[in-house]
Amino acid sequence: MFKKLRRNLKIFLLFSYQSLKTTGQSRQAIFLFTLGKILRFVFLFGVIFLVFSKTKIIAGWSLKQVVILYLTFNFIDTFSQLLYREVYRFRPQVISGNLDLILVKPYHPFLRVLVGGVDFLDLLLLVPYFFLLLFFIFQERISFFSFFLYMTLVVNGLIIATAFHIFVLALGLLTTEVDNAIMIYRDILNLGRFPIEIYQQIISFIFTFIIPIGVMITFPVKALFHFLSLKNIIFSFFISFFLLLLSIKSWQIGLKKYQSAGG
Amino acid sequence: MIFVKNLTKIYKVYRKTGNLINDIFLRKYEDILALDNVSFEISKNELVGFIGPNGAGKTTTLKILSGILYPTSGKVSVLGFSPFEKKEAFLKQISFVMGQRNQLIWDLPAIDTFLLNKEIYELDEETFKKNLQKLTAIFSAENLIQKPVKMLSLGERMKMEFIAALLHQPKIVFLDEPTIGLDIFSQEAIRNFIKNYQKEFQATIILTSHYLEDVKRLAKRLIIINKGKILYDGSLTAILQKFSSVKYVSLILEKEIKKEVLFKIGKPIAYQFPKVVFRIQKKDLPQVVAYINDQIPYLDLVIEDEKIEAVIKNLFENQQ
Amino acid sequence: MKKYFSVFTLTLKEYFAYRLNFLIWRLRVFIGFLVPFFLWLTVIRKAKNFTGYEEQSIVSYFFFSHLLSYFILGTRTVDIAGQIQNGEIINLLLKPISFFDYYFFRDLADKILNLLLSFFEVFLFFKIFSIPFPQVNLQFLPLFFLFLTLGIFLSFYLNLLISFLGFWSAEVWAPRFIFFILISTISGNFFPLDLLPKKLFSLIILTPFPYLFFLPVKMISSPQTLINKIDFNFLFFMGSFWLTTFFFLARFFWQKGLKSFSFWGR
Repeated sequence: MFKKLRRNLKIFLLFSYQSLKTTGQSRQAIFLFTLGKILRFVFLFGVIFLVFSKTKIIAGWSLKQVVILYLTFNFIDTFSQLLYREVYRFRPQVISGNLDLILVKPYHPFLRVLVGGVDFLDLLLLVPYFFLLLFFIFQERISFFSFFLYMTLVVNGLIIATAFHIFVLALGLLTTEVDNAIMIYRDILNLGRFPIEIYQQIISFIFTFIIPIGVMITFPVKALFHFLSLKNIIFSFFISFFLLLLSIKSWQIGLKKYQSAGG
Repeated sequence: MIFVKNLTKIYKVYRKTGNLINDIFLRKYEDILALDNVSFEISKNELVGFIGPNGAGKTTTLKILSGILYPTSGKVSVLGFSPFEKKEAFLKQISFVMGQRNQLIWDLPAIDTFLLNKEIYELDEETFKKNLQKLTAIFSAENLIQKPVKMLSLGERMKMEFIAALLHQPKIVFLDEPTIGLDIFSQEAIRNFIKNYQKEFQATIILTSHYLEDVKRLAKRLIIINKGKILYDGSLTAILQKFSSVKYVSLILEKEIKKEVLFKIGKPIAYQFPKVVFRIQKKDLPQVVAYINDQIPYLDLVIEDEKIEAVIKNLFENQQ
Repeated sequence: MKKYFSVFTLTLKEYFAYRLNFLIWRLRVFIGFLVPFFLWLTVIRKAKNFTGYEEQSIVSYFFFSHLLSYFILGTRTVDIAGQIQNGEIINLLLKPISFFDYYFFRDLADKILNLLLSFFEVFLFFKIFSIPFPQVNLQFLPLFFLFLTLGIFLSFYLNLLISFLGFWSAEVWAPRFIFFILISTISGNFFPLDLLPKKLFSLIILTPFPYLFFLPVKMISSPQTLINKIDFNFLFFMGSFWLTTFFFLARFFWQKGLKSFSFWGR
């Protein structure tokens, strides 16, 4: 059992290493992408301060809390992009038929199509983002327990992100018509940049309990500041578990329905 | 090794009607019968050629045997495994090479993909080095493995592809149009490679191709497939015996002959002095040859079988 | 002129071939609209007045923002870089059709289709959530059309310029990414630019970005709040300056690109 784990880890590291090599080939791209991401981060940070320059509280959230929310969003978003970057390249692989060559290999295809393209540019930024997040959190009076709960819920959020990415992969197997499925996920995730409460009731409900962006991002931060009910905590773990199982099942169904490309 | 019984594969395809609402909400599916109740067996160390026109079902068969596609019905067993389950023990013993497609990592040299495969197939250092050396030697491609794949020509890429695919000495090798798009020299190199590989490693090789030359050179056994049905499964030489009743007799005439004398054999299919070609039934051959020797002065006489291509083409046309 | 009309209809037909994809794209755009809309709505309901904006003017701003964002900023010129790389562009160059005009009409079809759909979306949205529809101040309508035209052409030439990088580099997506980031942050898409502190605002007015999108939307939604702050003549002058600059730059790099490019296909 351990042997298998070690082997999978080795394969994962090899793929990551090769991804690093490929990234390293264009210094212009490295520079520009990193610059772009930093700019975007700084601008949105600026917007938050702009909003709070006149209004002390929005939807019950203070400036500090909204900042931590934004940084939590950023962390989860960057981490999942970093790990699952290969999902963005899935559709071309299906269309060209290269996916077949992956399916015939003796390792779980997820090692390649899900985590096989670790994005080192995001890894570069993840470290400062993480420390920035910790910095703002520890400025507040936070009990060890709420911090622990927060971390657990963040990991939980990452599990939901994983489920979403697997859904996108399954969709890619079932139909070639949709070329931007992963981007829908990103757009929906962006709704989570600000507290989910700012949206009108129905929308807020949908994006908390049905497409659980709220669970991924708003809930952990709420837990940090003690306003997450036990009911919602339990719901959070339940939904992530459920979605993950459902996503894996849909991938398996996708494989059966898969019709491959070309003759 | 490979057992296929009553295998059927149906593809579901949308039929676009051009009507916006219909195409989104009331989709019409069409069932395409890719494989229709197909059965065959392949044993160890065989080299089988699958031929058929586009859409015949060749690639579908290979993809089902390798586990990529899920059969609609029927039984498939390869090396004792059910391929679709994609068990690791199964996958480690097979390999799939597709013409013009690569498993090689585009931006890096081929050697990086080889090293990756070493880990994936869990080869020990010695075996890896030995196989790599053997395989590159057959192609004389030692200098190519360090070049980034994107900088190689198609022929060179396919050579690297073959090496990557065979490093782990698979027991079964699936080749889907391996020589497509290659120049004559590369095609020749690949054919020799496959022949040598089989001899050396005793593998079962299943090959699909449009180029009959591939099959003629390599396969002893031929499976002809069209519209999802197997039309013929047997040796290459036997196909002529079975399906061809025709011989071509070509003469180089020594001098001009009277038409009536010549045409007594039959109407020639080509006649440009001094060459004349007749198409005659096999059963008539002895008589015709006797007549020629008796009545017609010639400088050269050649008797040929019908070309395999023509035989197969007839087979397809008769299937309609 | 007829041939450009057929370019127009052909582009529309292409969309209908990829319906599902297109609808998902509209869904994405709409979701993107929700974030700033609700954020600022929540803020304004609390603050009542924010740098001259009230609920009505914020709602109006984002109503027109959603309508016009793709109309001004959307483009098919992103295809150009790819066409240069794989050699497809040669087909276009050999035809008796102006390259610039071809893409302009392609963009026009694209923009009009998206405009119709965004109108439909935002109309439905406002109806469902019982938000009162904004009113248009007819007095400023001519100014609106002026800045709208300016914005469309400026966007067109700016996008072309970035695509033309494809003549020199295989990786245009990195600069395009930066451009996209700049557009989505400081073009007025995410928040009305005049919410910024005065100093910052007067700096941004000197860049081309406000002229793409912010000004046309401002003119049709709540021009009054802008009058007090800045002289329209100056705005017009800056806008024209940038338009002229990018017009000539685009043409220049086009010529240069054609000459230096070696037309290898892959």
